[in-house]
Amino acid sequence: MPPRLRLPPSQLRPARPRTQYVCWQCRHASLASATTPAPPLEQTIAAAPPIARYPPTQPPSYKPPEFRKSQLHRQYQSTLRSSPLILLFQHNNLKATEWSGIRRELSAALRKVDDDLAKNAGDNAYVGNGMKLQIVQTGIFASALKVVEFWDPNFEPEASTTHPTDPTTASSTSVEDTKPAARDPGFRHGLSAQAYQAATKNKALKHGLEPLLSGPLALLTFPDVSPQHLKAALSILSPGPDFPAPKRRVNPGYHEKAVHDGVQKLMLLGARVEGKVFDTQGARWVGSIEGGLGGLRAQLVAMLSGIGAGITNTLEAAGRSLYITVEGRRGMLEEEEKGGKEGGEEQPPSPPTSA
Amino acid sequence: MITKYITAVSTAFSPFNARTGKTVRNFLALLPPNARSKMAIDVKMFGQAEAEKPASLSLKFKDGKEMPLDLEKMKLKDIQTEVDRHSRTLRRAEELAG
Repeated sequence: MPPRLRLPPSQLRPARPRTQYVCWQCRHASLASATTPAPPLEQTIAAAPPIARYPPTQPPSYKPPEFRKSQLHRQYQSTLRSSPLILLFQHNNLKATEWSGIRRELSAALRKVDDDLAKNAGDNAYVGNGMKLQIVQTGIFASALKVVEFWDPNFEPEASTTHPTDPTTASSTSVEDTKPAARDPGFRHGLSAQAYQAATKNKALKHGLEPLLSGPLALLTFPDVSPQHLKAALSILSPGPDFPAPKRRVNPGYHEKAVHDGVQKLMLLGARVEGKVFDTQGARWVGSIEGGLGGLRAQLVAMLSGIGAGITNTLEAAGRSLYITVEGRRGMLEEEEKGGKEGGEEQPPSPPTSA
Repeated sequence: MITKYITAVSTAFSPFNARTGKTVRNFLALLPPNARSKMAIDVKMFGQAEAEKPASLSLKFKDGKEMPLDLEKMKLKDIQTEVDRHSRTLRRAEELAG
């Protein structure tokens, strides 16, 4: 009987240096290129934009963004950019009841215009819903207007110019835009330091509304240049001979004491139409355009087609007169020929001339 | 500003004039909310083209005094002091009369 050797199980394994176990697949992980996801398509065309150090919803602001005035500034900029037609009013100590009465009458009048347009012209835009009569803080509004007028950044984000194969892309070299400076040219919001500088640096720039921007101001903003709505609004807020206020029988609400007193205390100062400054007369003129922008377009088309017809007539005239002359001459010649033939039958034929 | 003794305000101005327009508009903003029922307010506004036209502001008081104000020289503070000066004498007379 052979001797029984009591060996520990570890010694039964083949002799081999004891290293940590590494699986076969993982040994070749560095070579496993197939498992790497392909980069997104835009990264193969241009390099990924540099890492922003500020969250996109909270870009650095020149003034502290948590202040009410900063937010009002932002709001006024947005109002100015989104409304092509703005009426400026001065409000002289209106009471809350007067404001509410005026707003009620104004919205009723605008709704009526909207309904008329939808019924007659088939225009279902209902622009009147977006019109708003609001009191603004004059100084902040003046500043916001300057930013909107004089600061014109490129709002389209530019594609990164760095090529993906450029060695600087993947490295940790700081690209210009990644510097966490508040004065970075990459920031395009209206509260940025850039906007502030652009609006305040050049004192010589004038937008024309400066003399109006003092005292208590209220704005009536229109989301669209619509003379019909402007006409209705003017007849409520600043009635005059060309824009008569609604009659008492038609609209008794307008002749309540509160509304009447309030309207007397509102003074129309001017208007800003598509970036241009209009005075009271100009605003009334815009409101008096018949049939609104559609009517204006129709007038223009009629004028242009009239001009076209005139030009064709003028150009044709020479040819036509030539045609008439030639036709007349031909008629004359034919007449003469006929007359000659009739006469020629009696006469002996003329002797042939020698060629 | 004591507006109690003013009975009539008549003004003509252009809001596009940075100096006189601002003065008049600020003066009108100082009148109390019920001013229209207490005094006769006549406002005439010029357009943008007539911004340089001379503006005028004249007040009438309870005792019949008329006060034309020179807007080229006076600013809002000066107008306020002028109005207050006359109003105070009126107030004193009223108090003495009981």
